[in-house]
Amino acid sequence: MLTELNRILGLAQKLGAEYADARYVSITQEPVSVSTDGAPQISVSKSTGLGLRVLVDGAWGFSATPYLDPRSLEKTADEAVKIAYASALCKKGDGVSLAPMEPKRARWQTPCKVDPFSLKPEEKVKILIDVVESAKKVPGVFRATASIMSYREEKEFMSTDGRQIEQTIIHSGGSVSVMARGDGDVQSRSFADYAGGGFEFVESLDLKSKAETLADEAVKLLKAPVCPTGVTDMVMGGSMVALQIHESCGHPIELDRVVGQEATFAGTSFLTPEKKGSFRYGSPSVNIVADATSPGGLGSFGYDDEGVEAQRVDIIKEGIFTDYLTSRELAPLFDQESNGTMRAVGWENIPLIRMTNINLEPGDWTLDEIIKDTKEGIFVDTPRSWSLDDKRLNFHFGQEIAYEIKDGSLGRMLKNAAYTGMTPELWNSCDAVAGKDEWRIWGTPGCAKGEPVQVIHVGHGAAPARFRKVKVGVEA
Amino acid sequence: MIGKEDALKVLEKVLSFCKGFDASVTLSASDLSLTRYYDNHIHQNLRRHVQALTVQVVKGKSAGVASTNLLDDGSLRWAVQAAMENMEVSGEEKDFPGLPKPEPVQELNCYVPATANLKPKDRAEACAVVIGAAKSKGLQASGTYSSGVSELAVASTTGVRAYHAGTEAFFRTIIQDGDNTGYADRLTRDAREIDAAAVAEEAITKATLFPEAVDLPPGRYDTIFEEYALADLIRFLGMIAFGADAKQHGRSFMARRLGEKVMGDNVTIWDDGLDTASLAAPFDIEGMPKQKVVFIENGVAKGFVYDSRTAAKDGVKSTGHASPLRGGRFVPRPSNMFLKTGDSSRDEMLRSTKRGLLVTRFHYTHCPEPMNVVATGTTRDGTFLIEDGQIVARVKNLRFTESMVEAFSRVEAIARTARLTRDWWSTFDSVLPCVKIRDFSFTGSTMF
Repeated sequence: MLTELNRILGLAQKLGAEYADARYVSITQEPVSVSTDGAPQISVSKSTGLGLRVLVDGAWGFSATPYLDPRSLEKTADEAVKIAYASALCKKGDGVSLAPMEPKRARWQTPCKVDPFSLKPEEKVKILIDVVESAKKVPGVFRATASIMSYREEKEFMSTDGRQIEQTIIHSGGSVSVMARGDGDVQSRSFADYAGGGFEFVESLDLKSKAETLADEAVKLLKAPVCPTGVTDMVMGGSMVALQIHESCGHPIELDRVVGQEATFAGTSFLTPEKKGSFRYGSPSVNIVADATSPGGLGSFGYDDEGVEAQRVDIIKEGIFTDYLTSRELAPLFDQESNGTMRAVGWENIPLIRMTNINLEPGDWTLDEIIKDTKEGIFVDTPRSWSLDDKRLNFHFGQEIAYEIKDGSLGRMLKNAAYTGMTPELWNSCDAVAGKDEWRIWGTPGCAKGEPVQVIHVGHGAAPARFRKVKVGVEA
Repeated sequence: MIGKEDALKVLEKVLSFCKGFDASVTLSASDLSLTRYYDNHIHQNLRRHVQALTVQVVKGKSAGVASTNLLDDGSLRWAVQAAMENMEVSGEEKDFPGLPKPEPVQELNCYVPATANLKPKDRAEACAVVIGAAKSKGLQASGTYSSGVSELAVASTTGVRAYHAGTEAFFRTIIQDGDNTGYADRLTRDAREIDAAAVAEEAITKATLFPEAVDLPPGRYDTIFEEYALADLIRFLGMIAFGADAKQHGRSFMARRLGEKVMGDNVTIWDDGLDTASLAAPFDIEGMPKQKVVFIENGVAKGFVYDSRTAAKDGVKSTGHASPLRGGRFVPRPSNMFLKTGDSSRDEMLRSTKRGLLVTRFHYTHCPEPMNVVATGTTRDGTFLIEDGQIVARVKNLRFTESMVEAFSRVEAIARTARLTRDWWSTFDSVLPCVKIRDFSFTGSTMF
């Protein structure tokens, strides 16, 4: 497609674009799912097209088309430029200007041992039938579902700066969910994880044995007491820490939110520019990086959708906030160059500042040690709900499962657990993070942002961690 | 825009490729233009045409699905072949009722050329009206103006043939005065109904009313919810409790309470996809005609919405509420909800409030406890304290956590007018009046 990309960039320049970039993207997805109350669902989808972004008179325009014939390319270029001229009717000062980049040609591919599309769907169905059967045999289970996701994205990027990048991004993952019901209640337990990589990642999840454990827990939750309301110490499992990072660290550090570009939809951020380099975000145990190079991360890639190299950036160092996620347009606010986080979903959307892999660095505890060191509290895991204010300060998270902690041991199982608080207070109360053996990058394939909304894949390195004096309870 | 003739032609072609099998084909397309602004200038501006053709091939009780966004013969044949291969290995679904038979579908005129033909310059000029109004008062404006056309065509070997096109324009703004913000929006089929100056005035009034926000402790307050806020509260009932799958799985609070009083006498909630006060559409993604479904009538639990699968299981007809899930599956969901209007008004509610709150809208609402539809979220863009029938202060944003079943049992007043409104996440459109709920539970507060 390099010929078409070159052609449309030329058309845009001829029509007045001072800068333009074009992306050809072809995405193939194959979700396979099995449930105990229906036949396996196998589907495959393909989406292919080209998006053109132009800067004219300091203002942005974007147009996208699934068709790559010469007439469609001309129409798309013409439309993008006309849209940019309309944007220029309401621009700020002289508008946007981008510092030029060094020309570069590159190719990147997700490291992958087993191409997830090399397995026949029936092989995936067989695995998933075993998974749901394993859950269903636990008495009290009403319904179980399991799925395997395979994703391949072929992307070619070209800019008038002379960047020409080809990438193949491969993602794989799986999930299992179990529902139990009784006495007028329904309780669910689930597990899901996704990674940059091939089918070897799905095999590593061992969904079958997880299904049995989840089924047992779902049934027990029906008779478990409701998580009481109060203030107590709280230990989070890794999947819960991953979501806490996502919502209360990953989103606030997006510089487009900070300046107000997402004000009308996803919201802004409490992390105003004067906080950079000095704000105490968390305790000294809290070290967070944005790492688009993490092996296996669902937010890993070679180059972002402005043609900027993937990077690893310190975000919070020993509790102090040090940097944002940036773009070519906004990084100069801090006399910096972009740290490469502009990503678009598919061909039809504009790139936005998005999380990569936002990782809480491992500490030096083990989960066992953390529990043993906790006199009284609760252990919570697996997100069930999430809600934050529009500056990402006040949050409320619900969990599928919790346990009492009494005198250094796990006690009764609790249902309908939740906790609430304020972002910096929570991270400043973090005094223990588990180490490398219990640290993993959790894949989050459903990060939503922008208008029209774009749902993108991101990752979060996380390990179990402890937070002191947290307000718990669903209606806390 | 693809148009009825071309859309159905593509579907006929796909069906002709499905020899020896039953099949249903859907073609959905969206031609969307969208302009975003912040800090008093336009920063994002786009147009995109996306389309997806999905074919479901059926043999006996086995089905396979594939979809493509390209409509050339090669892509269509690929989709049919891929769906057939998936069907061959998918196994049988014991309760699969087969593809639905055609039902008469009402024609609805929801296409407004003035919206479809809106130009980037038209949108920019509307944005400029708001930006100008904000600038003149030293305020900051952010917002979005989207317009476009959506099309849905469905055809099947059982005889279903349906096509519908509808336009939509959505204009919204947030006006910022330091930490204080105010919001307004308009959602309509006809962009000519959008009065940018009126939107600006509404949001500016909210942003500048009482500049010093006060802290208010969490607790229970008699609360007036403007339509924007109610859109978030009511969507949880629709998404969690009013689908027949939730009934069949036992996940709905109404699952075993049909015919029982579950909410206040003054609460009647229904879905009507044929009522053009909403963003009406005459059929669902299975091509089944939309039926009016009453969920709650004078507080009594009355019914659920169905797609063809859940309908077959309960031995009833689909109500035309199939909503797509990933992988070709459908779930029944309300799509055009209404709350019956009352005999009050926002001003009368204000005057009748001794001490309470006025909430403009919510942010990032979610449901931590689905069985009792416990929802949570924070207020934004204008939360005010009412004392002795008057607004007396701006309040820093609050978090609510409250069972919607219980909250709708304490509705004290309902306005006599309703408007088309959208939840904060832009996923659920309803026609709603302003309401007042007694002792609504706020459980936390923010710093702004």
